[in-house]
Amino acid sequence: MIGYAIQRIGVAILIVLLAITALFIMIQFVPGDPANVMLGPRATPELKEALRERLHLNDNVFVQIYYFFIGVLQGDLGADLTSNRPVVEILAEQVPYTAMLVLSILLVTLLGIPIGTYAAVHRGGAFDQISGVVSVSLIAVPPIVIGLYLILFFSVQLKWLPAIGAGEGSFGVIKHLILPTFAIGLTWIGYVSRLVRASVIDVLMQNHVKTARAFGIPENRVLRRYVLRVALPATVTVLGVSIGFILSSAVIVEILFARPGIGKLAYDAVISRNYPVVMGTVLASTVFIVIATTLSDLLNVMLDPRSREQNT
Amino acid sequence: MQTSYPVVQTQDLSIDFGAVRAVKNANMVINHGQIMGLVGESGSGKSTLANAIIGLLPHAASIAGGTLSFDGRDLRGFSPEQWQALRGREVSYVSQDPMSALNPSLRIGEQMVDIQHWSKGSLDAKLKRALYALEQVRMPNPDGRLNMYPHELSGGQKQRVCIAMAIMARPKLLIADEATTALDATLEVQIVKLLKELQADIGCAMLFVTHHLTVVEALCDEVTVMYHGDIREKGPVSDVFSNPTDDYTRSLLNCDPARIPEKCRRLPVMSDPTLKRLADPVLDKTRIDKTQDPILSINNLDVTFTKPRGMMDLLTGRAARRVEAVKDATLDVATGETVALVGESGSGKSTLARAVFRLVAAQSGEIRFENTDLLKATPEAMRKARNRMSMMMQDPIGSLSPRTTVGAAIVEPHLISGASPGLDLQQEAKRLLALVGLTEDFAKRYPHELSGGQARRVGVARALALNPRLVIADEPTAGLDVSIQGEVFNLLASLRETMQLSILIITHNLHVVRHLADRTAIMYQGQIVESGNTEEIIRAPQHAYTKLLLAANLQAQH
Amino acid sequence: MTDIPATNPPSRKKRISRLFRDLCSSPLGAFSCFIVLSFFVVGIFADFITPYDPIKIDIRNKLTGPTRDHWLGTDQLGRDVLSRLIVGTKVALYLAVTSVSIALVIGTVLGMLAAFTNRWVDWALLLVFDTVRSFPGIMFALTVVALFGPSVNSIVAIVVVSTFPSYARLVRTQVMSLRNAEFIEAQRAMGASLPRILRLHILPNVIGPVLIVASMDVPLVIGVEAGLSFLGLGVRPPTPSWGAILNDGFTFIRNTSWIVFAGGLPLILTTVAFTSLGERLRDILDPKLRK
Repeated sequence: MIGYAIQRIGVAILIVLLAITALFIMIQFVPGDPANVMLGPRATPELKEALRERLHLNDNVFVQIYYFFIGVLQGDLGADLTSNRPVVEILAEQVPYTAMLVLSILLVTLLGIPIGTYAAVHRGGAFDQISGVVSVSLIAVPPIVIGLYLILFFSVQLKWLPAIGAGEGSFGVIKHLILPTFAIGLTWIGYVSRLVRASVIDVLMQNHVKTARAFGIPENRVLRRYVLRVALPATVTVLGVSIGFILSSAVIVEILFARPGIGKLAYDAVISRNYPVVMGTVLASTVFIVIATTLSDLLNVMLDPRSREQNT
Repeated sequence: MQTSYPVVQTQDLSIDFGAVRAVKNANMVINHGQIMGLVGESGSGKSTLANAIIGLLPHAASIAGGTLSFDGRDLRGFSPEQWQALRGREVSYVSQDPMSALNPSLRIGEQMVDIQHWSKGSLDAKLKRALYALEQVRMPNPDGRLNMYPHELSGGQKQRVCIAMAIMARPKLLIADEATTALDATLEVQIVKLLKELQADIGCAMLFVTHHLTVVEALCDEVTVMYHGDIREKGPVSDVFSNPTDDYTRSLLNCDPARIPEKCRRLPVMSDPTLKRLADPVLDKTRIDKTQDPILSINNLDVTFTKPRGMMDLLTGRAARRVEAVKDATLDVATGETVALVGESGSGKSTLARAVFRLVAAQSGEIRFENTDLLKATPEAMRKARNRMSMMMQDPIGSLSPRTTVGAAIVEPHLISGASPGLDLQQEAKRLLALVGLTEDFAKRYPHELSGGQARRVGVARALALNPRLVIADEPTAGLDVSIQGEVFNLLASLRETMQLSILIITHNLHVVRHLADRTAIMYQGQIVESGNTEEIIRAPQHAYTKLLLAANLQAQH
Repeated sequence: MTDIPATNPPSRKKRISRLFRDLCSSPLGAFSCFIVLSFFVVGIFADFITPYDPIKIDIRNKLTGPTRDHWLGTDQLGRDVLSRLIVGTKVALYLAVTSVSIALVIGTVLGMLAAFTNRWVDWALLLVFDTVRSFPGIMFALTVVALFGPSVNSIVAIVVVSTFPSYARLVRTQVMSLRNAEFIEAQRAMGASLPRILRLHILPNVIGPVLIVASMDVPLVIGVEAGLSFLGLGVRPPTPSWGAILNDGFTFIRNTSWIVFAGGLPLILTTVAFTSLGERLRDILDPKLRK
């Protein structure tokens, strides 16, 4: 088990390295000269050259990457090209908003589990059929469209919920979180409920469930310990893998709802060629995704004793 | 113990499965402490009847008429709470597949405690009861087992756990639904013995559902025979088995290869019980041609599987794990001879067969087919060899490509080897189907539309497409009802006479071996421990394992 | 050689028509089929069926709601919304067909490669797939747009890179499990060559799940386009795309909610239709193999 964890973490680190390298290489092809951007057209060539030296922009890709990671290990992600504020600081300001949004999405997504389970247990019934149609519709429509429609109905027409910004005070914050969360969360509730439904239906037919019932174990216990416990690991895996999509959607939704967070930050940075900030946001999101995937893998191995054998 | 009601009583019980009546007007009585055998082929309704007694009929099934009572209580109107009180306490159930009966994510101890939901005792008391039950089923290291997960136990141990769970509450009735069918013969013997001891100990009644007649004879007091939903005969085992009054029962008993002591070259089958033909020693001798070299000669074959090293293994410097599947095996098949390779699961017999076709790599030794060493053969030589030998694989339906029709599948060997341009494939398909006794319309069917026996025949047809000299058949009778086994047997027996076929048959069914094989080799843990003339081996086994195997399989003989 | 379709099941045509019948048997399935077909038809013939020129500006008529002249009203530059939606279908169709087919081919090839080569190459390929998956899609999208400018082909590139790993993983898993299937072993015992086995026995079994993923990817493509256009990074104006229409509608959402409402409709219909189709396909393909 420990061995597997170490292996998994090692791979995770490797993935982060690879992702950053890929990004660096891509950035090389972006037209435009950062020195120009930063210092403005009036700067002298010497000044620009000095800046390029300082930022190692004249060296090849791998040297740049090397310096970048040295910086990372020291907690220094460079400085914003325009304001000269440390990137770490900027990130520390914005990341919490995105983190808050992603966490609330995950929480809301968990609603899919009881929905899917109920649909599976009462398969073919009214609830199952209705939730099936609704889920498929929710899965299909892109979060932006859902977000737009939510704004249309709840904000513009009904004027119940706010559509802009992050809000003040705990109650305000929560009110401002509702629409963005559900813009993405609805899709994932649909997705998770379908997954869980399929998994539970599968497990319900398995022999150990029949055996458990044959021994008169109360049905809710059977559901908990003999059905869900065996059916859920698959869902956990899929959720872990999908974290990347959740984060992507969160970023777009942040822009839609004019919320602070990594979304706007990254968008502005890419448009203005603000490389340190771009690198910082990519690093932050990649690390986040990799952590989530690794955690879900480890969680999976913990939940399913059989997979421990296969992986060590 | 004075009780007025029998443990189970059904009167004119009918159970419908959708539009089909799976059980028709069944009248059955099981008395306290009685061991009842419920016998029938697949589709007879025996499992449905057993499931009804514990209230575990699938959604599609329902009781259509008659009464069903347990210890005087009418089961038909039972509420879920009443069932819950009954199950695990007064009635318990051991299912066929021990591999999947246990919850893979819970430890054994946890499940055994779960089952004692009716007890108000402490966790400790429940664990003690579980421990005691494990000891009763002769589980080695019972303490340690409680903490293990199911996948850490072997098949036999899992079955013992299932039985332990069933007896923990000292039930009035234990239902065993094909509980030993999936086990190897030697294991089956042990489990049956265990059940008999437990029954004597606890005094419960047992309903033992099976199609193994020999087990019924060894274990049960009474027997009920079912066919297509009807109860054809019932009574004390000794009476029914020695003097069956019903036609079907009589055929069933007569067609069981285990109950036919003389060696036959045609076995009676349910559709034609008069088919029995005794073996003709003269025919047998002329069939085999010892003047030439053996058509297949395996010498000192070694097959070892190496589990590739993962990342962690590389880092810690652990050596790769090796499993020696076949060790130093030597076996000959003479031209026209039928040789049986016998062993239980894990013995390496299937691996040996696959090595002949180079489906697995052999480390050392030689496999000579018609004087070509297959292990050193060039691709061209191998291709020529494959035109003259073929293999029938274990899973009849699984060995056929799911998207290929039967007709296309059986002529495929022609296409692979480069058919002669003049060959009319449609005619060829018809010919092959006729050869194995299937009608023309089978050509359009898909594998999932076939029954086990039909799929087996298709496998034979495909194996014979190129008129091979040697056929290797991997478990040709496994998983088939007893009477279908007879049909496959007859097919192989007649084919080898008309086509001068040499057959290497891999099986654990000693009865088929007894009738069909000229020579037999016994395999145990990768090694061939004994080989020789079949009749001699059966009469006078030398190796300890052979003796064990024979004793387990050939109970009916004494 | 005679005319037994050697190892092919009943002719293509019959199988496809049977598939059609199964798909359309439920009301939802029939509806989805209809929408999907309309999507293709409208997309292909878009230029011929627009009532107005989609990029013709008519400021005097701006932001009208639905009228008899303009069934879905006009946008902030007086352009007819209905015409723009119709041409937007063409864009969506192009995106869907191109990105999905390219990703499918790349993914299938890589997946097969991973399944058949030795463990280290397989491991390396898996690492690549995982890395691509861990890369925040939006960042990649922004970077590509920054590199190559906003355009339809940028979107294609983004979608292809983001989705090929799922095809690859799927194909790899399917092939690996099939490789050990008994009927494949039987083929090898008969001496069938690897190309033959691949073509006749593995590929047909792999195509089903791949098609399901493909049909679920179409909504994804449309979603990505909508998202990027919304950020102003999608299709270049004045070419109408569904996302761009939504973006315009959002800017003027206080004036008229109609554009957002109408603009979202074809998007929702198409995505739901494709997803339902995918689900139906999955239901149909599975039980068939299971008896």
